Amino acid sequence: MGRLTISFALTAALVVLAALFHMSVGAKAVPLSDVTGAFTAFDATVMDHQIVRALRLPRAVIAIFAGAALGMAGAMTQGITRNPLAEPGILGVLKGAAFAVFICVGFLGLVSVAWIPLVAAIGAVISGAIVFAIARAAPEGATPVTLVLCGAAILAFLSAVLMAVQLLDETTFQNLRVWASGTLTGAKLETVYWALPWGIVGAVIAVWIAPRVTAMAMGDEAALGLGIDLTKTRAWGFGAVVLLSAAAVSVAGPLEFLGLVVPHMARMIVGADYRAIVPYSALLGALVLLLADIAARTVLAPAEISTGIVLALIGAPVFVGLIRARL
Amino acid sequence: MTRVWASKSGRFSVLLPAAGYGVLAVVAAVLLAFFIGQVALGTYVLSPAEVWAALTGSAEDMARTVVFDFRIPRALAAMLAGALLAISGAILQALTRNPLADPSLVGVSQGGALAVVSTIILFPAFPPALRPLVAFIGAMAVAALVQALSDKGRGRNALRFILIGIAISSFLAALIRAFLTYGDIRDSMSALSWLAGSVHSSGWQDVAIMGVALAAIVLAIPAMARRLAVLQLGEEAATGLGLDVRWTNRALLFASVALAAVAVAAVGPLVFIGLIAPQAAKRMVRTGAGMHLLLTALTGAIMVIAADLAGRTLLSPTEIPAGVVTAIIGAPVFLLIMLRRNA
Repeated sequence: MGRLTISFALTAALVVLAALFHMSVGAKAVPLSDVTGAFTAFDATVMDHQIVRALRLPRAVIAIFAGAALGMAGAMTQGITRNPLAEPGILGVLKGAAFAVFICVGFLGLVSVAWIPLVAAIGAVISGAIVFAIARAAPEGATPVTLVLCGAAILAFLSAVLMAVQLLDETTFQNLRVWASGTLTGAKLETVYWALPWGIVGAVIAVWIAPRVTAMAMGDEAALGLGIDLTKTRAWGFGAVVLLSAAAVSVAGPLEFLGLVVPHMARMIVGADYRAIVPYSALLGALVLLLADIAARTVLAPAEISTGIVLALIGAPVFVGLIRARL
Repeated sequence: MTRVWASKSGRFSVLLPAAGYGVLAVVAAVLLAFFIGQVALGTYVLSPAEVWAALTGSAEDMARTVVFDFRIPRALAAMLAGALLAISGAILQALTRNPLADPSLVGVSQGGALAVVSTIILFPAFPPALRPLVAFIGAMAVAALVQALSDKGRGRNALRFILIGIAISSFLAALIRAFLTYGDIRDSMSALSWLAGSVHSSGWQDVAIMGVALAAIVLAIPAMARRLAVLQLGEEAATGLGLDVRWTNRALLFASVALAAVAVAAVGPLVFIGLIAPQAAKRMVRTGAGMHLLLTALTGAIMVIAADLAGRTLLSPTEIPAGVVTAIIGAPVFLLIMLRRNA
């Protein structure tokens, strides 16, 4: 077995372990044997089995799904912008989702929380499309630099409007401030069902163009020499980023930081080939988000912290450690 | 058109791109126009003659008070904060050779912001007058932390600095968000409005502090521009040309961080200026590093003063903080510049 296979197998095993542990901790501790029992020998009369299947499983599935999607979105973002500082957030995608939700809830008086996932996904797709269209229209086309600058401009614009909305409308700020920090609380399995198709399409695109993104990482000239259509590849890559981010933000809110850190961790472990980075970022993203969510639910138990906040509080020091050790 | 100016001994020489001076003149004129508008307009509108009378000392007391105690310090504070943040961003971008680098990206703004937000939420009775000091200390402390963490041997120090800066700034942003999310809603709103960035309450004291910082950096521009130009060639080449890269990196980083800290302390975290102003200036005209820094400073000054003017007049009497308007107006303008100009 190669080193790559071992890394993948090991990480996959860790994801399963983390998921089991994730389902066992909470307001009521469920022994690990009962967690596995809920799947292998489900007994509707056992309270713990019910808790695991009805309450804990959806949240674990959402953590895995959102983590994997954001990990891949981050890898693709850094690949097509060739910028180690880039993440889906810098392309305006996550802020677009938050913006759409705040506008719909604050001004259009959208009452039902059930609509938030759909609104968030649509907001992400629209803002992503706008960023790409503008970058495309620039004289030099959709290059790494124009993509990132357009994204940053749209991001700043949306943040500012969002800030104004929050300042003028205290009620909406109060209602949505927990959602806006990125959280898995109240996660419902139904939202995953319809976010899943987008996520899968995004993942397939990401894996499909991964070899070309690897070639692009060596520079535009090298990629052109290999007969790669740069604009087309970036367009596909951007599409993957938007679909994956939209899927993640619709189930878990605008979780920042994951998309930035995970690809770096992946690169440090599996090397510079995006054929390995993309799938490995998915595994690693799922693992990191599961661990962050475990911490979010246990550190201040019975109170719960936003997963997004925990993610940054834990992820940042880890990231600093990685940079100091490897760069 | 480019001319070369050289001192007699030939030890010093400067490239003078003529196009740069034309653009410089236009940008300076625009800035002056905004300054006059800022002084004349508002709830109490003054005619140009009245402004002139107030400036020369022959106006009535009311006009003098409005002009000298409120409008001029506010206008100057906006311009200075914009210029400081813009130069800070330009230095950081040149240093890291990354168009995404920005004071708010490496934790400086968040350091100041966290210091202020945590005092607002944890000690609601803390006097607002001391917020600038708290912000400055927070910003510098975070910069020192990032520098200490990224200082390791030789080599790619700038990249390490910015990556660690990003990690730290995300960490701080999460703490800020935690305070905003779980703090008392009234304190959260108060913190949120400080976070929006405003030159609303700026006085002569802010102007004096930022003015000194700007004067210091303007005096340093010639020396700085040469080093930045050499650094553009890459760290290996720069070392080969006899530049002490490590020392230069540190000095420039310190300059960049200190400028941003001063501005954040005075007006709150105005994001976007440090990111966009250097890019916009670069796309106006191609020049050397020194002229680029000057244009960047003026562009930043225009962005903030225009934003403040728009924020307090357009929806009057409701005032929108300058930081919010900067981005709402600045982003589309920047995109237009980017679309038009063949870079």
